[in-house]
Amino acid sequence: MEQQKVDMFLMTSGKFFEGYQLGAIKEKLTKLDDAKLLQLQSVNLKDPIIMLIVSLLGGHFGIDRFVLGEVGLGVAKLLTCGGFGIWTIVDWFLIMGRTREMNMQNIQQAMY
Amino acid sequence: MTNQPAFPYTPNEYEAEKASNSYLMSVVVIMFGLPLPIVNLIASVIFYSANRKAPYFVRWHCTQTLVAQVVTFFANAAGVYWTIAVVFGGGEVTNNYIAYIITILLFNLFEFAATIYAAVRTRKGKHVSWWFFGPLTDILVKA
Repeated sequence: MEQQKVDMFLMTSGKFFEGYQLGAIKEKLTKLDDAKLLQLQSVNLKDPIIMLIVSLLGGHFGIDRFVLGEVGLGVAKLLTCGGFGIWTIVDWFLIMGRTREMNMQNIQQAMY
Repeated sequence: MTNQPAFPYTPNEYEAEKASNSYLMSVVVIMFGLPLPIVNLIASVIFYSANRKAPYFVRWHCTQTLVAQVVTFFANAAGVYWTIAVVFGGGEVTNNYIAYIITILLFNLFEFAATIYAAVRTRKGKHVSWWFFGPLTDILVKA
């Protein structure tokens, strides 16, 4: 893939990943075929800040976990009212990192 | 009560943020679950479980929080049990009881202050090792 396209992709999507992951993504994208770009752009990446807001507002019902695609954990959180409130608070501090990890997993699936 | 020994490597921004979050989470949970000591311990266990595969710096600080919470839990649980016995069981307010309550109150205050200090320092990538809990964490966490 052209360097310009890679840089453009990283500029627009960089905030969805951890800083240390960007180097690996850049390296992989450079070796990737141009035809894959459309596929990469169609990957549903979640914004960590939006996920934090979702967690703050709907964490008691497990909505944050549902949105991330972790249905099992979402149901568990829903049935326990956010782990009796404890899990909800812990998730406020975990959800941003987890969102970036899920984004990385999704982009890796699209790249291979 | 705290010191800042050298860490084997310099943690990056992402590690510093996650390590700091373990202390910050502990402070927030204290505010929400103050009457029940077990709430803090459960929260620390969940946070540690979520970060058990994280880099060494993050694991180290999560473990230090957890170890401190375990000790605090037993101290506070004994205080809560004794207080319930005094209030509902017709127990007597003895000098020993008052001394114990003052001791755990001071212990909790020191722990709270140390937690906030550690949250601030680790966010800047500095390694903070608490008295007693730090060396214990060194033994428990392998690089």
